[in-house]
Parts: sequence; structure tokens; C-alpha cells
Amino acid sequence: MEMTSRDFDVDILVIGGGVVGCAILRELARYDASIALLEQYPDVCEGTSKANSAIVHTGFDARPGTLEARLLAEARQLWPEVIARLHIPYLQTGALMVALNEQEQATIAREIVPTATANGVTLQPLSRAEILEAAPYVNEQIVGGVLVEGEGVIDPFWTTRAYCEHALLNGARLFLDERVNAVEVEPERLRVHTASGKTFSAALVVNAAGLWADELARLAGDHSFSLTPRKGEFLITEEDHGVAQIILPVPSQVSKGILVTPIVFGGVLLGPTAEDVSDKRDLATTTAGQQRIRQGVGRLVPAMATASTVRQFAGLRAVSSTGDYIIRPSTVSKRLLHVAGIRSTGLSASPAIGRYVGTLVGETLGLRLRTSYREGLPEPLSEAAHEDGEVICLCRSITRGEVLAALRSPLPPQTLDGLKRRTGAMLGECQGNLCLPRLIELFQQEQGRDPLSLEKHAPGSRLLVERPTRLGGVPARSGERPK
Amino acid sequence: MRKEQMSVHTLEDMPLMEDLHEGEVYDLAIVGAGLSALSLLHSGAAALGRTVVLDYQEQVGGLLRYLLPADGFEAEWELLRDFQLPAGVRLLLQTTAVGLLPASAAEPTHTLVVRRRQGTAQLRARQVVIACGGVECPREHDAIPGTRPAGVMTPVLALQLLARGYLPGRRALVYGDSRYALATARRLEEAGLEVITAAPTSGNGRSVRLCGTIQEICGFPRLSAVRLRSHDQQSVEVEADTLIYATGLLAGTHWLKGSGVSLTATGTIAVDAHYRTTIPGIYAIGAVIRPQLDHESSLRMGKEVAALLPGGVL
Repeated sequence: MEMTSRDFDVDILVIGGGVVGCAILRELARYDASIALLEQYPDVCEGTSKANSAIVHTGFDARPGTLEARLLAEARQLWPEVIARLHIPYLQTGALMVALNEQEQATIAREIVPTATANGVTLQPLSRAEILEAAPYVNEQIVGGVLVEGEGVIDPFWTTRAYCEHALLNGARLFLDERVNAVEVEPERLRVHTASGKTFSAALVVNAAGLWADELARLAGDHSFSLTPRKGEFLITEEDHGVAQIILPVPSQVSKGILVTPIVFGGVLLGPTAEDVSDKRDLATTTAGQQRIRQGVGRLVPAMATASTVRQFAGLRAVSSTGDYIIRPSTVSKRLLHVAGIRSTGLSASPAIGRYVGTLVGETLGLRLRTSYREGLPEPLSEAAHEDGEVICLCRSITRGEVLAALRSPLPPQTLDGLKRRTGAMLGECQGNLCLPRLIELFQQEQGRDPLSLEKHAPGSRLLVERPTRLGGVPARSGERPK
Repeated sequence: MRKEQMSVHTLEDMPLMEDLHEGEVYDLAIVGAGLSALSLLHSGAAALGRTVVLDYQEQVGGLLRYLLPADGFEAEWELLRDFQLPAGVRLLLQTTAVGLLPASAAEPTHTLVVRRRQGTAQLRARQVVIACGGVECPREHDAIPGTRPAGVMTPVLALQLLARGYLPGRRALVYGDSRYALATARRLEEAGLEVITAAPTSGNGRSVRLCGTIQEICGFPRLSAVRLRSHDQQSVEVEADTLIYATGLLAGTHWLKGSGVSLTATGTIAVDAHYRTTIPGIYAIGAVIRPQLDHESSLRMGKEVAALLPGGVL
């Protein structure tokens, strides 16, 4: 057994390739240190980061005084530079919170506006007429509302990938498909073992394992917090009915409610539901959930109650036992830093979480800044390069050139869903049933992948099965049809 | 059934680099080279003057091409097997229409914006027949609840995988009772899969093993079962690693957005009894106007529109 090739020595190890882990990795790459990230799935942005509203939220409704509120406020200042330097598609749509009755209108005045003011966000009160003028698709029965100008929508996959690619450009290392199954705490080092048999020794480990952060802590003997999953179901529709702003209901005690959100690349996202579940892998959509979404969005934008849907999905967000972000050293070792309980605001706060944790780690280890640091990613491929080649995905008019660009990128997809998120192919009406064989061929051509090994998303999600060498005593004939 | 060699045009005998003749004005442009388009060409569209046919796929024959030959599809197979491109008709494969600009006062011909390997081009034609069919309706379109595992697909994916020498799974539930669904089930069985057929009660006389509607998709990361509910509200869990969702087609009309060609509420092209769309000189036939049709009428529509087109001699 070759121990050397399976042992890795780094200064800092980040566990978890979601939007938070990748944002942290990017900030750590500023230091003169060796850094690496472990992700349990074959791609980054797979857990909570992948299935959410994709909103860059101002944090106007955060509980004032919490770390979450503070980091959301800092993130507001950081986003413009992040978007520009990393070339991330972003739309500042603004959000309209609409009141359906006088009681809701009173809640806005009594609770929403003062909280926003405390968080440094100015809300603009709007009359019923003003809202219907700006957003004629909104329910005519509203009585008024407020505009949150700074809210916008972004591509969470692009954002997470861009953070990661930027870190890789500055020397970070990425290990995909590496699930941590043991953590040894030693006085000067932590030793992290993965299911594939690798061992990573690090002076400091950042626990950014999202929904699994409490389980990772437990592997190190730390039982100081626990996370429970809250499921949110969504619907995607390609019928936009003119929706150009985020439409929010007045929140209730339990939830921010079901929203109508434009998608940065077109179409509209409806949801989420909020249901506490016990299984951290329960991503099933339900009839009841879909009905709740329809009822919820129908109150805001009546046309959305019956809009046809092209896709449904569910995401799980972490609800922490403390009610706030948990960003602090572990109770068992100061060399293990938890970044957990990020709830549903991880995407919005990610630039500030990255900055905060980066600074914390830099100070803890006494690190110096790297002399050569590249401040941004190179410009993405021009439109002209995407024009190259025939259409592969018929429903979305995605060309061979666009697919090849993704397969040749610095962080190329390893799965079919990874390719989908990078190109938009397979996201149209037929959901990839027509073009998937051609995409498999391009994977094979570009990456030398055996089609039989290709997976849809998670380990074990292979698309093809091996053809048996013999079928009932008759040799199988590949590609030939029986008479 | 006799096993026969396909004699249809493929990329090998139809050079892809063929000049588009962008400056040329065609008498007729046919979008799609599936059954209805082939039937139209077979019925004498060559008499209509200079004709161009374009298709997204690498071969003619539409989605059905991956199934044929198959029992119950003798007429379709005969058309495809014996098809000869009429003289003077230009066939452009792997050429996708991505937009349509109808004729106007300033521009007397219709313009098709097409995308092919060499880039984007424009084709001009006096008359256009839209025969681009549709795509198969996936599970997501019908918002079937449950997980999103590998192993859920429509027939065209399963058939393409088989044609490439791969198996899509070991035990498949084929959901749907059209001729196409059942022929797909037979093909999977011949390839060595264990196949269970199911469909809601439809009374079309074709037999499936289970009657019921899909309630839930189960299993992750690979499909493990499909839950069906029968008409008497009994819930049955059918173990399967593959679901072939074969409920029908969705008209392929997204590329017509903004063209002015009127669509119906279900997304099909609106036509009158003579296959005329709301724009003079633009016709539509086949699945793009009737996605629920079971292929026989594609052949008929092709013949009928051949006779109807101005200049037609049939």
C-alpha cells in the first residue's frame, strides 16, 4: 500500500464545498499557506447551496445584534466587487413585500420597518396604486407594501464555482468525492480521514460541512451543537407573466413564506415551503408541498397559481440549536473552527463569512499575505466562442461550443447535473431526454470518461448498467435488434 | 418481421459542409425531417420548386427513427426505409431552426434563423412548412412528486442508449399504453431488461400489466420503486430501477416565440382545416399541431399539405 500518495499535509483544510466553504477557501487563498478543500460529492455546490431561492438578500429582516445580521450587512458592501471581479450573472430586481390586508400592513409598520432600520436597510413604503403600476401582475387585492431596493438574484452554482475557481487560481487544492469518516485531534495537528482512504493532516480545519457540520463536529468528539434539516420545495415555471421583481408576502411567526422570484437566466421560481424533516437526505417533492406553493404564490401573483411547471425540486437548510450562525472554535480543539448553522442566508452572507473566517484563521495561525495574488478571474468566454458548433440541447438552443467550454473549464463537471448547471443544457422542456446521449459522448471525448461510469449527481447515480455478456444462453448483440 | 437495412440519408452521404446558399430564395422550406415532412416530400413537394429541409438530428425520421423497424409501425418503416430525397431538394442535417421572421411589406420572403456547426445563418423561403414535431413529455412536466434519481427517462433516451449498445437499467416500468410505449417496452425486453407495463385506464384496448396512475417516484441516488394508484384507490409499489415515462409529446414551439405564429393554450401551433397558421404562407403539420397523435396521422397530414400548397400538382 502506497501511504505517501494517500497522505496530504496542508496548513488549512476546509471541509465542505458549498457556497460558504468555497467563499472561505477564496479568502484563505490570500495567505502564504497551503490550503485544500474536501467535498463529499463529485461537484461543488451540492447541498443547501444548490436548492434555494438564489436571492442576494440585504438582511433587512435579520434579528438585529446577531452575527448573521452583522455579516449580512457587511456582505452588502462586498457584493459589487465580488460580482465584478468574478464575473457572476446578477440582477438587482428589488423586492416588493405586499400586504393583503390591513393587519399585514400594520405588521409591516410595527415590525418589518423598524427591524430593517436597525439593520441599516431603508424600505420604501408604496401605496397599492404604486405597486400595481410597477408590478401589474401582483394581486389586485393588496392594500399596500414596501420596496426593498437592494435585493437581487444571482446564480448560486456560478457563484460557488467562481469562488472555488478563484481559489484554485491562487494555489488552493480541491478534492471532490471525499467524504470524511474520522477526525483525530492532536495537540499540534488535526488528522482527517476520508472514505476513499486518504488522510489529510492540517494545522487548522474549517468545518463548513453545511447540514452535516454537527456530524463532522461529533467525529472530533464535539457535541456542542446540533443541526436539523428544514425542507423547502420549489417549482420552476418558464411562464414569467411579466414578473420582474421578487414578490414577498408579509412573514408569519414560522416562516418568511412562499415567494415569487425571477431567475437570473429567465423563468420564475416559486417557493419555498418550510417543513421540518428528520432525514438529511430527504429531497423528495410532495403533492402537499406543491399545493402549498400554488396557494402561497396565488395570493401574491394570481397567474402563478396555475402556471405550467418545467421542474420541481427540494432543498434542505440547516436550523441550528442556537438560532444564530455558529462561527467559533470547537470545544475540543481551537484547531477546529466551526462555520455552521448558516440557515438560509449562506449565499447572501458568503462574501462576508469568507472575509470574517479568513481573517480569523489568518490571525490564529499568524499567516502572512501571499506576495502574488490574482484579484479576480479572467473574463469568461466571449459570446462568439459560444456560437461555435451545432445545437446540442434543442430545448434551450445550447451549442456544442458551450458544452465543450464547460468540459474544458478550470473546474470541469464530473456529473451530468454538473454539466447542466454549467451550461443550461438539459434544463428545458424535455429535461435532457433528447440530447443526453450526445452529452455522454462529449464527456467521453473530452475527459476520456467511460460512459458506464458517468453519474447523474450523487455517488451511485449511474445512468447506464453493464450489458450482460450472456442473455439466457444467447450472446447479447450490442446495437443489433433481434429478428 | 424482416430485418432490413436502413437506406435513409445520414451524415455520411450528406456532407455537412454543404453550402447553405444563404443568398438564395427557396420556394419551400420544411422545418423538420420526421415522418410528416418525409410524407410531404414523398407526396410530390419536389414539384413545388427549390426546396430545403432542415433537421436538428443527424438523420431523417424524427424521434421515431430510434424505434423503427417495429411491429405495428409497418407504414412508417416503409416510408423511412424506401425514402429517396427528391431531386432538387436540399437536406441540411444537424441544422436547427432557432427563429422565424415572417414575411413583411419590406421583406416579401420568410426568413428562418438556423444554427449549424459553422455558425448561425439565415434561410429565405416563399413558403414554410413547420413539421418539427415535439419533444417527449418528461416526468417533470407533469410534476410527479418524489425523489429525483437516475433511471427516470422517456422512450427516446432509452432507445438511443440501446442503439449505442448500452442498457438503461435492469428492471423497467414502462408507463403509457400508446403503440410507441408498448413497442418501446418490447424493445427493452428484447435487450434483456425485465419489463413491467403500466398505464392509467384508457380503454384503448391495448393491454398493460398494471392499471394505475403514478403517485410517487421513490429511491435515491438510483430509482428503486414507483408508486401507482389504481382506479379503486389501491396503492401499489412497483420495484424498478428504471422508469420509462411514455405519456406523449410536447409541441416543439419554443423557437417560435415572438415570431407572430399563433400558438394554442397547450403550446401547439394553431392551424385551420388546411394546416394554415395565422401567417400566410406558413403551414404546420404533424406532432407540432397535434402532439397526442399516434404517428399514423403524421403520414396523412404530409400527403394532404402536399396537395394544398400553392403550386402543388397532386
